[in-house]
Amino acid sequence: MTQVLFKNRHPDRIATMEEYRAGGGYDALTAVLGKYPRSKVQQLALDAVLLGRGGAGFPAGKKWMTVAETAPFPRYMVCNADEMEPGTFKDRVLIHTDPHQIIEGMVIVGYSVMAERGIIFIRASYENAARILEREIERATTAGFLGDNILGSGFSMKISVHRSAGRYICGENTAQINAIQGKRANPIQPPPYATEKGLWNLPTVTHNVETLACVPHIIRNGPEWFKSLAAIPTAAGTKLYCVSGAVQHPGCFELPMGTRLSDIIENHAGGMQAGCAYKTCLPGGASTRFLPKSLYDIEMDFDTMKKAGHRLGTGSIIVFDEKTCLVGATLNMMAFFARESCGWCTPCREGLPYMRDILARIEAGDGKPEDIPLLRQMSKYVWNSYCALAPGAASPVESLLTYFEDEVQEHIHQHQCPFSSKG
Amino acid sequence: MIPEDFKQQLQQHIAGVEHPREKVMDVIFMLQDRFGYLSDELLEDAASLLKMTPLEVEEIATFYEFIYRRPVGGHVIHVCDGVVCWMSGYTAILDHLRGRLGIDFGETTPDGRFTLLPTCCIGYCDRAPAMMINRKVYGNLTPKRIDEILEKLGWDITGKRDDTGSL
Amino acid sequence: MPKLIIDGRHIEVAPGVKVIAAAEQAGIMIPRFCYHPALGSAGACRMCAVKFLEGPVHGLQMSCMMEAKDGMVVSTTDDEAVDFRRFVIELLMRNHPHDCPVCDEGGHCLLQDETVSSGHVMRRHIGKKRTHRDQYLGELIQHEMNRCIHCYRCRRFYQDFCGYHDFGAMGSANRTCFGRYADGPLENPFSGNLIDICPTGVLTDKPARFKGRRWDFERAPSLCIHCSLGCATIVSARYRELVRVEARHNPAVNGHFICDRGRFGFGFANHSNRPHHARIAPAAATYADALQAAVNQLTEISRTFGSQAIGTVSSSRAGMETLMALKILASAQQWRSPSCFQDARQRNAVVSAVIRLSPDTAVCLHDVECSDHILVIAADPIAEAPMLALALRQAWRDGARVTVLDPRPVSLPCEYTHIPVAPKQLSAVLQKLMNALLSSPDTPQFPPLRTSDDAHNAGTVSSPSCDPKPDTALQLPLLAASLQSSQRPVIVCGTNIVSGTVVNAAADLVMQLRASRKNAGIFNILPGANAFGAAIASPDGASFSEILTAIESGEIQALLIAESNPVRWFPDRARIRNAFKKLKLLVALDYLPTPVLDVAHIIFPTQTHFETPAVFINQEGRMQQTSMVHCNGMPLSQQTAGKHPPREFRHDVPGAGAKPAWQVLLELNAALSAVNTPLPSYSELWEQIEQETGIAIDRRPDSDILEGRRLRLETQVHLPETPPPDTPPPINLQEDMSLELYPVESFCGTEELSAYAPILCRMEPMPELIMHPSDAAGCGLTDGGMVTIQSDAVTLDVRLKTAAGTATGTAFLPRHRQLVWRQAGSTDSRASLLQK
Ligand SMILES: Cc1cc2nc3c(=O)[nH]c(=O)nc-3n(C[C@H](O)[C@H](O)[C@H](O)COP(=O)(O)O)c2cc1C
Ligand code: SF4
Ligand code: SF4
Ligand code: SF4
Ligand code: FES
Ligand code: FES
Repeated sequence: MTQVLFKNRHPDRIATMEEYRAGGGYDALTAVLGKYPRSKVQQLALDAVLLGRGGAGFPAGKKWMTVAETAPFPRYMVCNADEMEPGTFKDRVLIHTDPHQIIEGMVIVGYSVMAERGIIFIRASYENAARILEREIERATTAGFLGDNILGSGFSMKISVHRSAGRYICGENTAQINAIQGKRANPIQPPPYATEKGLWNLPTVTHNVETLACVPHIIRNGPEWFKSLAAIPTAAGTKLYCVSGAVQHPGCFELPMGTRLSDIIENHAGGMQAGCAYKTCLPGGASTRFLPKSLYDIEMDFDTMKKAGHRLGTGSIIVFDEKTCLVGATLNMMAFFARESCGWCTPCREGLPYMRDILARIEAGDGKPEDIPLLRQMSKYVWNSYCALAPGAASPVESLLTYFEDEVQEHIHQHQCPFSSKG
Repeated sequence: MIPEDFKQQLQQHIAGVEHPREKVMDVIFMLQDRFGYLSDELLEDAASLLKMTPLEVEEIATFYEFIYRRPVGGHVIHVCDGVVCWMSGYTAILDHLRGRLGIDFGETTPDGRFTLLPTCCIGYCDRAPAMMINRKVYGNLTPKRIDEILEKLGWDITGKRDDTGSL
Repeated sequence: MPKLIIDGRHIEVAPGVKVIAAAEQAGIMIPRFCYHPALGSAGACRMCAVKFLEGPVHGLQMSCMMEAKDGMVVSTTDDEAVDFRRFVIELLMRNHPHDCPVCDEGGHCLLQDETVSSGHVMRRHIGKKRTHRDQYLGELIQHEMNRCIHCYRCRRFYQDFCGYHDFGAMGSANRTCFGRYADGPLENPFSGNLIDICPTGVLTDKPARFKGRRWDFERAPSLCIHCSLGCATIVSARYRELVRVEARHNPAVNGHFICDRGRFGFGFANHSNRPHHARIAPAAATYADALQAAVNQLTEISRTFGSQAIGTVSSSRAGMETLMALKILASAQQWRSPSCFQDARQRNAVVSAVIRLSPDTAVCLHDVECSDHILVIAADPIAEAPMLALALRQAWRDGARVTVLDPRPVSLPCEYTHIPVAPKQLSAVLQKLMNALLSSPDTPQFPPLRTSDDAHNAGTVSSPSCDPKPDTALQLPLLAASLQSSQRPVIVCGTNIVSGTVVNAAADLVMQLRASRKNAGIFNILPGANAFGAAIASPDGASFSEILTAIESGEIQALLIAESNPVRWFPDRARIRNAFKKLKLLVALDYLPTPVLDVAHIIFPTQTHFETPAVFINQEGRMQQTSMVHCNGMPLSQQTAGKHPPREFRHDVPGAGAKPAWQVLLELNAALSAVNTPLPSYSELWEQIEQETGIAIDRRPDSDILEGRRLRLETQVHLPETPPPDTPPPINLQEDMSLELYPVESFCGTEELSAYAPILCRMEPMPELIMHPSDAAGCGLTDGGMVTIQSDAVTLDVRLKTAAGTATGTAFLPRHRQLVWRQAGSTDSRASLLQK
């Protein structure tokens, strides 16, 4: 299996800058700065079909192109290391593996949009990762890959680490922009887009850690190479899949984009835990839909998932076995989303706690048959909320009712949780 | 009152950026790391350092999970209640902690050393169940491992306490 | 211009207009909570969902977030949209306390209305409701957080629109709440608007709490007369008592909002010492007896001393009817024409301002908001014209620059450049600014100056001691360049601390900018709601200081004062007291219990502008009329001391002895006239006013009474040559270092009417003497200490506040009602400063 982002992965330590450089690290930066026109960098990312790894899968090159040539300065490059999607930990692993790819990626993207200030937004529970990044930023600066007039190219960039104090919504890029400015982290609905008016009303490009880490490799090896990494011709690159839950070996694996779910679970995560049978999974974190068993073999890439009516999300697979109560699991996630709502819009702020309460009653055996249509209607209506948090929150409920309604009905008819032994 | 030398340290930290407000989180964390929690007095001091009104700092401080506006113990234990930990034995872990410390969520041990709080998925699902103590993560928790951790932090796990952990 | 169809109605709107606003133009009110025309869209409540059937977007969308586009077909009644809105209401009502019976918003509550109209009638939620702790937010606003629906209007208004940061949102998710960091009064002088914009009962009018429902009140459109801007209001009264004032939308003037002085300053109308019956001192009298007594004595004095021995006084708080009736009376009886101004400086400043305002240079408050550079000269907006400060902020938010040339440490809720300039240096500085404007090579010069008093002031301008300070001089070319590069500059000029010279110089700057093809405008601030009207009615009237002199010399033997309290603003109280004692007759007409009434021989109570229609002309020459809210009388609560009203039948209204001042004056005129003079009605009075001044009220049924109408002055008003001004009469503190003391206004505590409003009186800040730190140091004084101002007449203790933004050589003391500053010295007084 070609390891690109995890090439320098060691079980017990972080790859050093020297190690990274020995494998071609910072070559891309040297090649690009002051030598490639901005548009060429953008075109390379576009040709490589680099889709945002933060969950939305938006083409990275296209995002950079929305920063107008005439846009005002300074411009900002934000690295989104908030990673608060339950089940997701790839960014943490990536930072603990080979952090310089992220720094190099930030400088290259920064160059392509002429952003001279970089900010890594990182969640509070990743304090270790934050310190690693600060240390490695220092090293990269000493080595001349960051700071003023990088490698004599005339391009300068400084990167700082911004610690968050813990709210899921801060991962949403517009809320993050408010958070960084020391404002309440409510999202801002475009237009204007952040690439036009972001931090301090100046152009701001935000990318997920993994997206940025791909950039130097694309520049160095070309778009065709990147596309060839994928398991299927319609996808590109590798993907960091996180697997957690009822599997033998939970972990984060770099696999070709489009690897089959069954393959990931069975051959990489060591299959199901002893005595557990696969029931379903959330394929891309808590804000994606439960997969029906029929899709156990699905190719895990943005396009295929979308066509099947699902979302790849962050590619973080939470595996549930037959003995786990999905009502309980959904209730757990709904409690999470309700707690993490930013409180701006009605469907999310008031609707999610409402759904949580109904799920809690069903789980406690107090559910009523009319709760099912009510939940169904609500999971449809919260799609009309201000940002994507609430639709994500509705995904587990809606898919629970679509694929596992029997389990819910059982709770209601038996007046108790049929799995009461567990959870 | 913030000691003068520490105040200078904070001022230096703020002086590095164009918009002081950007540093509100850092300043709060620095104060919290040093004084335990963000008291009214510290919040007001932070506000004046950042050229914000106390309300503006409060708007931020009350938004986040890891900013404590009320007194907490020296060790703040955040137990992950994310879905992966939930299905990997969170309940048992929590019950064990409650029993050992004799406190429930939101409470602090009478000696003021431990506070127990929930938190959402902390991104260590590959090592579920997990918890965090003062922003340091502990994974693959079992009752035995919890005892080890508590002992290392100087907690007498054999001490007789109300073991019911009543909710 | 996008064309779209909403519910089958075709409509064309300006580009950029949101669908919710487009629908409103078509007469369709889409439900909303967070959207507000002044605050814009937030997309928070999701109540405005409509279905987009055709065009660039499809499906359920928020009409407040969507710009109207060509080809859109929108349905507000689509089943899905209706059902979704019902769902939103269900969510909002889930935690609502359902305490409508004891909620002051009840009856005019948007949440009630939208709940009923949405069809949400059954509660499905089981379980506890979220609760919050309420806060004490001061005397003006009651907080009941449990009723909140999180529309964020309050926070957006408070922080974004007004620029104050002591109120906001705290917590997150469904724990979000709105309030202050800690209990305490709100700092924003526009905080009262929270009451109007909060669509629920979270933020309600505290003084009006539990005083009644909307439908219990007598309500009518009215005007605020607490400053010269003339903001539009709606006034509610019950049981002969004024209960509350709300902002009324006037797009040209105040937009949707008013200031707290205007909202909470109405207490004068309910004042417990308000005169309700005529008096012939020291006893109460019938109206007829008082009128007869006045007629007899006035006739007698006129016969003995000549008609010129009778003086008349009014003020800028009197309506146009009163001012003109007094003028009619005075000229019919050949008395002295009415004196409406404090001293010659003030008269000169106001009359100059009125003369120089032409229809093409006058701008309204809305134009200020749309300006791209505003130069504020000799004005302290928050104190003298509060809503102007809010307008400056809106302009600034849109990218305008704001520059202030004023000696005071002016504070504004926006970014601005402050150049502190002493009052007597202002005209020199403006001359320099003019020179800088002219020095740009391709600048055409505007037509010859119209100022008549230029020569008079020439000496002052060129005197070396008045040369602007070097750093000011450096800033002027930059200011000039910035004005030159603006498109729609506005020059704001105050009349409180300067004479007509500065007002003229400001107008000249506007003319010059217009000559360089700028769409420049002038926005004056005048002392009082109807100062403009006073300048029209009586430009030639003596100032009150001249009247005093005439009393002292015996030329005036009788004085008739209609709705004016010269005691309040005249600096030398001892002198005025002695002068009044000398008078053979003092007749006073007023609704306020002023000190004049204490010494007057004959008193006629009059009606407020809430009790009788009155016309006021604001500082930009906009004529506006109030309507009658309720009838005159003693408030029931005062009549019965809080007990149940007496169970007796009467044909009269208790305490209703007051008449409109103009009516008393015209009745006096009729009774004094030898030939039978018929008593004119209100509209006949206006016919007469029209003949005299050319100003007419609009009598069409669809008249623009609600927006008012700017006068076309140049054709209608003929003002005489302005007399030369008095030199401003500052009090010279500390002779050796020439420190001049100016009495000034503050937001609370100095304005005449609100000084009779108990709520505002409780909120007044303690008056402070303000000066530059270096001046204070020069006098050996320290910031925050008590100082004593000592003159021949009196000693005055006041706290000292030093502020670096003060022009050196000047000191400021608010004309605070609690300060007997008037006694601090006569016009030529010297006083000294001592640290306590
Ligand atoms: C509620 C919510 C939470 C999000 N959290 C994260 C996150 O933790 N990390 C992340 O990279 N993107 C997150 N996103 C996606 C970001 O908004 C954004 O799309 C992404 O950072 C863009 O980077 P990419 O183009 O590299 O994917 C979140 C989105 C939503 C709606
Ligand atoms: S859906 Fe609404 S309340 Fe929820 S996080 Fe987004 S903006 Fe905030
Ligand atoms: S207090 Fe009123 S204005 Fe403010 S959010 Fe709540 S309902 Fe809206
Ligand atoms: S700005 Fe003036 S007119 Fe307007 S409400 Fe305030 S005091 Fe009244
Ligand atoms: S669910 Fe506990 S660490 Fe992710
Ligand atoms: S009015 Fe449109 S979302 Fe509130």
